[in-house]
Amino acid sequence: MATDWNAMSDDDFRAAFRDLVERRLPSELRFMRKQRPLFDEVAVWYHALNEEGWLSPVWPVEHGGMGLNPAKHMIYVEEWGRLGCPRIPDHGLGLIGPLLLAFGTEEQKAYYLPKILSGEHVWCQGYSEPNSGSDLASLRTAAVRDGDHFVVNGQKIWTTLAHCANWIFALVRTSRDEKVRQKGITVLLIDMTTPGVKVRPIANLRGETDFCEVFFDNVRVPAKNVVGEVDQGWNVAKSVLGHERIFLGAPTRPEIAMERLDKLARARGAFDDPAFRSRYAKHRLDLYDLGSAFERFAKVLREGGELGADVSLLKIFTTELYQRITEEMLLLAGEDARYFDDIEAGNGVVDAMNLFLDSRAPAIFGGSNEIQKNILAKAVLGLPS
Amino acid sequence: MPQTIFDDPDGTLAMLRDSVATLASRQPGPASLRAKRSASKDIDRELWNSMAEAGWIGLLLPEDLGGAGLGLAEQAVLSEALGRALIAEPVSAGAVFASTLLREAPASAERDRLAAGLASGELFVSPAWQDPSRHSHGAALKTVADGDDFILTGDRHFVDGATSASDFLVVVDAGREALVVSVPAGKSGISVSEKAGVDGSAIGRVTFERCSVEANRIIARGPSIEALVENAVTNARIAVAAELAGIASKAVEMTIAYTKDRVQFGKPIASFQAVQHRLVEMWSDAEFACASVVNAVVKQSEDDDKAAHLAVLAAKARCGDAATSICRRAVHLHGAMGFTDEHDIGLYLKRAIALSATLGQPEAMRLEFVELEYAA
Repeated sequence: MATDWNAMSDDDFRAAFRDLVERRLPSELRFMRKQRPLFDEVAVWYHALNEEGWLSPVWPVEHGGMGLNPAKHMIYVEEWGRLGCPRIPDHGLGLIGPLLLAFGTEEQKAYYLPKILSGEHVWCQGYSEPNSGSDLASLRTAAVRDGDHFVVNGQKIWTTLAHCANWIFALVRTSRDEKVRQKGITVLLIDMTTPGVKVRPIANLRGETDFCEVFFDNVRVPAKNVVGEVDQGWNVAKSVLGHERIFLGAPTRPEIAMERLDKLARARGAFDDPAFRSRYAKHRLDLYDLGSAFERFAKVLREGGELGADVSLLKIFTTELYQRITEEMLLLAGEDARYFDDIEAGNGVVDAMNLFLDSRAPAIFGGSNEIQKNILAKAVLGLPS
Repeated sequence: MPQTIFDDPDGTLAMLRDSVATLASRQPGPASLRAKRSASKDIDRELWNSMAEAGWIGLLLPEDLGGAGLGLAEQAVLSEALGRALIAEPVSAGAVFASTLLREAPASAERDRLAAGLASGELFVSPAWQDPSRHSHGAALKTVADGDDFILTGDRHFVDGATSASDFLVVVDAGREALVVSVPAGKSGISVSEKAGVDGSAIGRVTFERCSVEANRIIARGPSIEALVENAVTNARIAVAAELAGIASKAVEMTIAYTKDRVQFGKPIASFQAVQHRLVEMWSDAEFACASVVNAVVKQSEDDDKAAHLAVLAAKARCGDAATSICRRAVHLHGAMGFTDEHDIGLYLKRAIALSATLGQPEAMRLEFVELEYAA
C-alpha cells in the first residue's frame, strides 16, 4: 500500500526521511568528498532507497515513484543535502524517466522504468558534442535509417558518468533542415553494450573523471528506441525540466563553500582584518539574499504555481557566488594556495582548492551563464534580436 | 518586471499600487521634485496633503489614533510604488518613523494630538533624533530640568521637512534618562538651516538654544526609549529599502524602453548582446532587491528578534546597492541623454544615492549583519 506522502505534514515527512537515512545509509557514504560517485560506490544506498520506496521522488505512484508535489520534493532535496546523502547517478531518475513519462510509448515505459528503479539500467545523457556546446542544435552525430534499425555514427562529449552507465539517451541528427536547425533531431535510447560504442573518461581540473567522451561507430539501434517522433527530438529534450529548474539555482554549493570559508577564516584569524571582514560580509549577504530570492520562487511552487523562464536568474547568481567564495578561500590561503590537497585550518583541514576548482564547472554546465542571459533577454525582458 | 510579491488575499496591496499610479498621473513625481528643487522647498505640501488624504501618511497608525491601521507589507508596497513614481517626499521620516514612534509610545493627550495631525496632514511631525556631534561639527543635544520644564540645548541633523515642520519629535539625553519630547516648531530658541540634498530635497539641521519645553510635551521617557527608537529605525529602513526597490525596478524598465527605442547601426541598441547582458544583470539585481524587502517584512511578523533584525539590515544593504548600481548603469545606457538634467533617469540615480545613504550605507549594514550574526 503506497503512502500518500503529500498528505503528510512537512515535519513528519522530514522525520520519515531522517529515519530512513539513519537506518539505511552507511556512515562512510555520508558527506562524501566525491561530488559524483560512480554507481557501484553508492549502489547500497541506491538499492536501499528503492526497497524503501524513496528512490524516485517525482515519478507518479503507479510507476513506482513517490508522486511528490513540488513543495514536498523541495523538502526531499533539502533533507538529502542537509543529511549528507551522496549523489547517486540520477540521469535515469531525473531525466530519462520524466522524458519517457511525457513522450514514451506504454511499451517503453513498461520496459525501461522498472529497470531504472532496480538499477539494472544506469543512464547517461548524450547531448553535447565537440563542436556543439552552447549551440547544441548544430549537433552532427548522425542516425541513418536501415530497415528497422538506425545506424549511429559520431561522438558525444562531456557525458557525465558515461563510464558507469550502460544506457545513453542521445540527441542524434536524423535529417537536415537548412532553415530550422532544431528540426531533424531525434531522441534515441542506445544500449551502450552494443558493438561500436566506446567510452573514454576525461580527467577534469579536480583530477577526477566525472565526464567522458562517447564514440559511436556504426552502432545499430532498433528503431523502436526512438522517444517521441523522429525529427522532433528537440522539443522532447527541451521540455524535460519543469519545476526542477529551481534546483539549478539552489544555494547548496555556495552554502558549503561559505561554511569552509568560515572555518578557514576563524583558524587563520582573518576576522581581525577589516579588509577581509568587508569582503566576507559581502559574500555572506549575497548568500543570505540568495535565500530570499530562492524563497520567492519556491513559494510559487508551494502554492501550486508554475515557474517561468525568470527562475534561471538563481542559477546565474548561485554559480557566480560559489566562484566568488572559493576565490576568497584561495586568497585567504596565502602561499598555501600552492597546494593541490586540502590545507590546514585549526584542528582540521579545508578543501579550498578542491572547491575552487569545482566551482568552475556549474557556471558552464546546464547552459552557460551567458546562454542563460541570452534566454532571459528574449524570454523575460522581451529584447529584440 | 520586478516587484515585491506578498500574499494579497483581499486585493488591498494591488489597490494601493493602483492608487499611487493614479496619484502619480495627476501629480507626477519628477515634476514635483523639479519644482521643489528650484524653489528650495523641503516638501511638496500639496502632494503631501494628497497622500495624507489617501490615508498613506498615517498608514501605520492604528485607527483609534486616526490612522489606517495597516502593516508593514502595505507600507512596503506603498513605498515601493512611491519609489517607482519618484514621489520623493520624506515618507520614511515624516510618516513611517514618526508613526512608529507615536503608536508605540504610551497614550497621552500630546501623543494623540500629534498622531491625529500627522495622519490628517494638518501637522508635519519631523523626527529630530540624529546627533551630529559624532560625525561633524555640532553639539550633542542635552537637556536639563527647569522645574517642571526641560531646557534643550544642542543640534540635530538630517532632519527631513525641517522648515515645513509643525512639530519636532526630539529624542534627547536628559542625563539619567532619555526622553522623547515634542517641540512645536515655533518655539523660541529653535533655529533651522537647510542644505540642498543631491536628490533635490532639503536636508535640515535644527539648533536648540535654551529652548524650553513643558513637561506635558513628553511623549516617552526612560529605558524603553532605546527600543522605541530602534523600532522606528527598523520600520523606516524597510520603507527606504522598499522605495529603493521601486526605483531600481523602474530604472530597469526605463532603460529597456530606451534601448529598444534607440536605433544605431540600423538596429535598436537593445538587440546587441553587450547591452542585453547588462540589462539582464540589472533586472536580476532588481529582483533580488524586491525579494530582500519581502523577506524583511515577513521576518518582522515571525517570533525571532535576531532574524528580524538581520533581515532588515540585509534588505537595506541589498536595495541600496541594487538601486544605485542599476541607476548608474541606466544613466550610462541612456548615453548622453542620461547625462542631461532634462531626462528623469538622472533624478532616479540621485534619489537612489540619497536613500541608500539614509539610515545606514550598504557596507555599514553588512558589517552590522555579520557582527550580529556572530554575536553568540
